[in-house]
Amino acid sequence: MANSTWKIARRSNAQLPLVIVMALAVVLVLLGKAQAGLFDRARMSLTDWMQPLLSVAHAPLVQFDRWVGSVDELFTVYQENLRLKDENARLRQWRNVAVVMQDRVARYQSLLHAVPDPGVDSVLARVIGRASRPFLETMILDAGSSHKIKPGQAVVDARGMIGRIYLAGSRTSWVILLTDLNSRIPVSISPGNRQAIMVGDNTAMPTLDTLSQIVTLRAGDQIVSSGDGGLLPPGLPIGTVVEQGGKYRVALLADASSSEDVEVLAFRKPPEELPSSLELPAVAAGLPPATATPPVITIAPEPPVTAKPVTPPAAQPTSPADQADEDR
Amino acid sequence: MDIAERTGILMSWRSLSVLVPFLCGLFAVLLSNLPLSLTNGLVPAPLLALVPIYFWCLVRPDLMTPAAVFGIGILQDIMGGGPPGVWTLSFVITYAVIDRQRDAFAGLPGLGAVLGFATAALITCASTYFIIALYYWQIPLLSPIVAELAMTAVFYVPGAYLVGLIHRRLVGPLRSEP
Repeated sequence: MANSTWKIARRSNAQLPLVIVMALAVVLVLLGKAQAGLFDRARMSLTDWMQPLLSVAHAPLVQFDRWVGSVDELFTVYQENLRLKDENARLRQWRNVAVVMQDRVARYQSLLHAVPDPGVDSVLARVIGRASRPFLETMILDAGSSHKIKPGQAVVDARGMIGRIYLAGSRTSWVILLTDLNSRIPVSISPGNRQAIMVGDNTAMPTLDTLSQIVTLRAGDQIVSSGDGGLLPPGLPIGTVVEQGGKYRVALLADASSSEDVEVLAFRKPPEELPSSLELPAVAAGLPPATATPPVITIAPEPPVTAKPVTPPAAQPTSPADQADEDR
Repeated sequence: MDIAERTGILMSWRSLSVLVPFLCGLFAVLLSNLPLSLTNGLVPAPLLALVPIYFWCLVRPDLMTPAAVFGIGILQDIMGGGPPGVWTLSFVITYAVIDRQRDAFAGLPGLGAVLGFATAALITCASTYFIIALYYWQIPLLSPIVAELAMTAVFYVPGAYLVGLIHRRLVGPLRSEP
């Protein structure tokens, strides 16, 4: 191309800087391994600074995506309409069932005095950017720490969980998607309440690492967040189990590439407090509470009893108070 | 305008034009890492920063120094959002290879130049892949990095045309080397 157009300059004779720079780059990688958040502040400052530009530039792109995505749907719109009508009728039936079941569960909970689930606050945020690098799948939201968003919080859309907050700037935040190489989520598989870790591997369907070797999964089992670790609320819908090439993967309910408005769940499990002394098992059973340092009991041989003449003790005041009492 | 004043302006412009390759690299990083996608994330964004690195490493290595490549790599790491230092090291490795085989790369005409750039992009992507594999101690999926390589190679032709234009307008006339 352009290489033959210009005469080429003299070879750079500074070989030493290249060696130094390469050594610096290796040190940077090692430093990054030890401290992964090395560039986090710079990243967030840049994203916060670009937030107005991203918000403006994202809107026409969304329209363009919708237009491009809907071109091929023009040819299947009739069949799609019939399918959706059928699905809608079935979903209405399921909705009625769900409402009845919800009432029944609420009644049972009130009868059993069940502890209600903790309320979860949420922040509605808009997706203003998506980054798709070879080893990183993220999206950028237009809400940050000024909206009380913190790293680790769950991000969901109407269908299910999308990912977790990875970095939180003042006005923007980065979401690490469930499909990302770095994503690890403790999940629960029902029926059976089996525990597993869902691991992203940059494919559309994350893998499942079951915690027990004897667990057998079936395609169609439901995956929800388990809530282990206290960062994510339990029971968030995530996906269903599918078998692919002898491995179990998760077909996610949410489609992060089409989500525009998402919710960030501000769930924080309060640290478990020590029970009061009245709640201890011994006290509850009616026994005396155990002391922190039990008294040491020494059994000494009793001295032999001998007859002694009884003499009245001499009155010796031991304290000013005693002296005052005697004066009175 | 006397001769001294003209010389002063020329010297200040000359010192600014020295920064043009580095600034082009930084701008390419910003452009390719804008979190906006026309393909809805279907294909990754190309490594546009590799075009000015490759071009000026061949044409004017005195302007595209290892330190400049290091700076461009750091910005790529910051903007890209991945583990720190991965792209920096990959860029520096690529620069080292191009610098050592400079005569071979620079003599490639036409389609050969595109293949030469694709080879440089392959070195970058392969380095990144292996660093990531070591970093996470697992074999990552190959298809995303292959897509990145393909996209980067595709964008070389318009990219090289643009940096060639910039070179001719801003850097070339002031080139001190014959």
